[in-house]
Amino acid sequence: MLARGTPTDRPVATRPRFAPGDRVRAINATPHHHTRLPRYLRGHTGTVEAEHGGFVLPDTNAHGQGEHPGRLYTVVFDGAEVWGAGAEPGLIISADLWEGYLDHA
Amino acid sequence: MPHDHHDHEHDNHLDPMDARVRALETILTRKGLIDPAAVDAIIDTYAHKVGPQNGAAVVARAWTDPDFADWLRRDATAAIAAMGFTGRQGEHMQAVFNTPDQHNVIVCTLCSCYPWTVLGLPPVWYKSPAYRSRVVLEPRAVLAEFGLELPTDTKVRVWDSTAELRYLVVPMRPEGTEGMGPEALAALVTRESMVGTGLPRVPA
Repeated sequence: MLARGTPTDRPVATRPRFAPGDRVRAINATPHHHTRLPRYLRGHTGTVEAEHGGFVLPDTNAHGQGEHPGRLYTVVFDGAEVWGAGAEPGLIISADLWEGYLDHA
Repeated sequence: MPHDHHDHEHDNHLDPMDARVRALETILTRKGLIDPAAVDAIIDTYAHKVGPQNGAAVVARAWTDPDFADWLRRDATAAIAAMGFTGRQGEHMQAVFNTPDQHNVIVCTLCSCYPWTVLGLPPVWYKSPAYRSRVVLEPRAVLAEFGLELPTDTKVRVWDSTAELRYLVVPMRPEGTEGMGPEALAALVTRESMVGTGLPRVPA
């Protein structure tokens, strides 16, 4: 158990909604359930860098409501897009976000 | 409830956390819910077998073995597993390589996600609200407090570990290390250099 860990990647049958290079916006929502979309990225626009396949969705799994795996993407945000004009120059932020956290921008 | 009043005598000399942990372990063992040998195995694993020495060995090999470095870049989970480092909080690994143009820093703004298999358990500062909130906002200022001043034209990329991917920073190999073997190189690779809050040591 210690050596094997507990992998959380899962097959997903649907085709990816996003591809590397796509511009996407993190949804601006205030759910009453657990989520792994950080507040500071909500509503901001970034670029998909990588698609990682399906992973267990924490929004449901954390509540014992099933794994509902969704595709996971690494999305890259420009510092000035997230923090505005006062952002540190040359800052890039990336986060790993589930498909349901994103819309096309 | 916090145990912050000390106007009475304790019946032992343990500090409050030690006393609480021992009481819990005793109760859980007597109820048959945990096996003390399993607890010992877990403690031994994270005290002696899993730690930043594992990540340092990975980095030193990447510095000296271009084929391994390519593998690490493409499939870090498999490349790291091939060195024997597998397990919890290392199931899905990604190695991010520093370059002269870009310095990489790892954080988990939402909790304390950290690549246990290569770095061990996270240090207190990594879990602190100050590090987690500030390093995505002003990483240069935070790195400066760690004693790391980056050139102004170097981009800083902060990787927020929001899902199950765990990140290992592969720092640049220090100058003056030509001819050093993997073991000597690994001794230069600090924990902070693999989180991105520091650089490797320079050989004396």
